[in-house]
Amino acid sequence: MQWWTLFQKELIENVRNIKWIWVPLVMILLAIVDPLTNYFLPQIIDAAGGMPDGTEIQLPEYQPSDVVMMSLGQFNSLGVLVIALMSMGTIAGERKSGVAELILVKPVSYTNYITAKWASLSLLTLTSITLGMIASWYYINLLFGDLSFGALLQVVFFYGLWILLVVSISIFYNTLFKIPGLVAFLTFATVILMGVITSIFAHVLEWSPNNISNYIQQMLVTGSVPSDLIGASLVTLIMIVLLVGGSVFIFKTKDMAE
Amino acid sequence: MLSGLLKPTSGTISFTDMKENRDIRKSIGYLPQHPVFYKWMTGQEFLVHVGRLAHLSKSEATKRAKKLLERIGLTDAANQRIGKYSGGMKQRLGIAQAMIHQPKLLILDEPVSSLDPIGRREVLTLMEELKEDITLLFSTHILGDADEVSDELLLLHEGRIIESGSMEALREKYQIAKIELSFDGNLRDYQKKVEALSAVTACYTDQSRLHVTVEDMAEARRHILAAASAEEWPLTSFSINRASLEDMFMKAVNS
Repeated sequence: MQWWTLFQKELIENVRNIKWIWVPLVMILLAIVDPLTNYFLPQIIDAAGGMPDGTEIQLPEYQPSDVVMMSLGQFNSLGVLVIALMSMGTIAGERKSGVAELILVKPVSYTNYITAKWASLSLLTLTSITLGMIASWYYINLLFGDLSFGALLQVVFFYGLWILLVVSISIFYNTLFKIPGLVAFLTFATVILMGVITSIFAHVLEWSPNNISNYIQQMLVTGSVPSDLIGASLVTLIMIVLLVGGSVFIFKTKDMAE
Repeated sequence: MLSGLLKPTSGTISFTDMKENRDIRKSIGYLPQHPVFYKWMTGQEFLVHVGRLAHLSKSEATKRAKKLLERIGLTDAANQRIGKYSGGMKQRLGIAQAMIHQPKLLILDEPVSSLDPIGRREVLTLMEELKEDITLLFSTHILGDADEVSDELLLLHEGRIIESGSMEALREKYQIAKIELSFDGNLRDYQKKVEALSAVTACYTDQSRLHVTVEDMAEARRHILAAASAEEWPLTSFSINRASLEDMFMKAVNS
């Protein structure tokens, strides 16, 4: 009941501040920009001119799985940044402005407050990512080769887990700090740092959440789900639960006013 | 702490008829000094939202929100975005949101200090009405406001309660018998004469008045009036004063 009230409020807020319009649009744009530029590269080079006659440019032939990776690659950098920026104020901002004081003196369960925010952000980002991948899938089938809808669903499912982890990291920092900018910075920095650590200790961190997109490519090439992908997904799920649980715990022990 | 925003380092907070371990926030309404709302909501929406957070049904919350908006005189602005409200309107909406779940205790943190005179009057009048039904606890630096609406008083100095009690009892305790005189002409000429009278303990002047503290009011009055008529002082006013809250505060802090 109360959870639903909080969740609805988040949805309405994100509709009124048009996040429900710009976030999906940005994600669609990010998903299709690389596939399209790569496909039209020969024409672009032609149109730009300046090449001596007889120049032969060898461009690689892209497989559908390569193109999926282009979209995911954009999500991994700019997509994560967009998520960090649009979620940075969800709790931190409310505490900074002082609205949280009014809301939390009502008999509001902190668990409801945080999980409702997490759920609303998750819904928004997952929807945006899915729309982006559908757009990418459309151009893949049009320009590069066949990719089944089932394969697309698998991609969205496993990649969605990674995206939920990013949202959870942001929520976690939101409960720790009151400054939205700091929350966005730490979220982005954490994701990058995790990537660095994963590649340095690649041999022991096979199940690192950062590897999910690599395993997705493997899955598309071989046509079956690699066991490492299952492992990485489990680790991701556990981290999400720990982060959200930790956020609630921090919030319960924290003083809400100075 | 009472509002549940701060965790007490020790001790517990409870109401007399409250079950153990119940959330005290259910019985408390709180208005911070500078209430901030969701600017994108309308007044009506905000009240319904916080009402539902306090476990009211949707229809019940809507009904109460309507009633409260009427009571605080915001019916016309009910469907306007809160971002467009004036300071006084926000303060009144703040009181309404604190009352939506019918708390037993309403805590207001400096409810009028940031308002213009009109807004101040609106809120004070509202508080006068409210105290008929529920317990109001409010903090203020403006002693005149406290004087106007309070029944009981807690004086805080350096984080401690230095004095508490009903207004009447405090008045009694800190009764300072004081007479104020004003004259045509130079006050200082008369200061010495008044000081010399018996029953007068101290005497000082400000811009326009001569303040006389006395031991025995009846005797002092007799002496002053006798001297005034005998010497034909150009008196323009003579008044006997009750101790103001400010006098009380100063005296309590000093002792």
